[in-house]
Amino acid sequence: MDSGLLKTWGMRLMFVFLALIILFFHLLPLNPAPSRWAGPDVLVAVIFAWSVRRPDYVPMLLVASVMLMADMMLQRPPGLWAVLVVCAAEWLKSRERRQRESTFVLEWLTFASTLVVITMLYRAVTMVLMPSPGVLALSLVQVLMTIAIYPVVVAVSYVLLSVRRAAPGDVDRFGKPI
Amino acid sequence: MAKNGTNSEAYTTPLRRLLLAVVILSLLGLFFVWRIDSPRVERFRAAVIDRVLPSFDWAMAPVTATVNLARDFRSYQRIYEQNQELRRELRQMSSWKEAALQLEQENAKLRDLNNVRLDPRLTYITGVVLADSGSPFRQSLLINVGSRDGIVDGWATMDGTGLVGRVSGVGANTSRVIMLTDATSRIPATIQPSGQRALIVGDNSPAPPIDFLENPDQVRPGDRIVTSGDGDVFPPGLLIGQVAQDPGGRLRTRPAADFERLEFLRVLRDHGARRVSNPSALVLPETPPTAGPTAEPDADAATAEREN
Repeated sequence: MDSGLLKTWGMRLMFVFLALIILFFHLLPLNPAPSRWAGPDVLVAVIFAWSVRRPDYVPMLLVASVMLMADMMLQRPPGLWAVLVVCAAEWLKSRERRQRESTFVLEWLTFASTLVVITMLYRAVTMVLMPSPGVLALSLVQVLMTIAIYPVVVAVSYVLLSVRRAAPGDVDRFGKPI
Repeated sequence: MAKNGTNSEAYTTPLRRLLLAVVILSLLGLFFVWRIDSPRVERFRAAVIDRVLPSFDWAMAPVTATVNLARDFRSYQRIYEQNQELRRELRQMSSWKEAALQLEQENAKLRDLNNVRLDPRLTYITGVVLADSGSPFRQSLLINVGSRDGIVDGWATMDGTGLVGRVSGVGANTSRVIMLTDATSRIPATIQPSGQRALIVGDNSPAPPIDFLENPDQVRPGDRIVTSGDGDVFPPGLLIGQVAQDPGGRLRTRPAADFERLEFLRVLRDHGARRVSNPSALVLPETPPTAGPTAEPDADAATAEREN
């Protein structure tokens, strides 16, 4: 087995492991009382950050199953947030080639607008179809926190896990430029 | 090289698009199935969590304990003030205890006169809190007792003092408790001493408002709120909390249960509770009134007939 393939699969495993850790910390029963603020959705930040940098580390089926698992565990309507995140991640992947030369600020803005759009879609669907869509202020806080945490997620992925954009000369294992 | 790349992309891209479409459609399908037949999917969710979460438990308990320890450690900084506070409270409590003892004796005498037997069916099962809902939009807890221990959907749960919520979703080893602060929680209650009936409406805030009150003038902040037993939702007389008034003048509930620290929950066995098995059973009668002996006792058929 060649090292490129091994690395890709290792990073995919790493992604699943990260997702499990994030879910674990979401589920810790530290303070069951309702709070006025909401934590960031780190899992979405990780998926988007990796989709922009290395789409091959977060294949679509993996993203779909991880997000479905998160929907199940976190008491969200199953499938809805997952489908929005999968679509957004695929859209970001399709832009990845064009974004390669752009600055981080531009990428951050793209992330923020994508997140706002899918959150608005989510709110719209839940408002139409569910009896209690949840507090709007909490959604807003969550979006803002996620946007704020994005640079941290990118930095940690870059430094600790070395998830960075493919350099111009890089080729994949078939000799095709990534 | 570049030509080769575009060539292979020409083969893979339609396949990937097809796969993407299949995934999107199946996820959306799952969502709509959930919306249409929520209990079935929720049972599936309970089964998934029942399988996955106990395997997290070995790590969850120590991490939770460590974080709580660190929090407690911070509270040592104001230990002197706390001590004074506790002494003051203790003085108040001892006078209350005196009053309670006298009342207990009087109560026992009166019961003896009336020949009252207390309801022996209200026993409880204690469970440990495994996890919370994991999302700020849902107020629920997962406890480590399930259908294996005889837990049934709809039973009331309390901490030592007050009502916490209602069991909703039972797996083999775990069950979910929807807390009374959740936005979907509605609990019929009686406010003592005036005896007013009301509904405690969860709204994702620490102090759920009191709604559908007959006569708000008879209710004052500090009154006790207990469950009324209406609609067979809960056994009557469980302590919920006290009435409080927010700055806007709205009456709210200050729950007696300590939602900041819930480690153990009591699930009250309640064999009189109404079981909700199909989606519309709460709203519609179990058997449609016009149905003959051969007709299916189907609630959807009942609505269809009613509309015709």
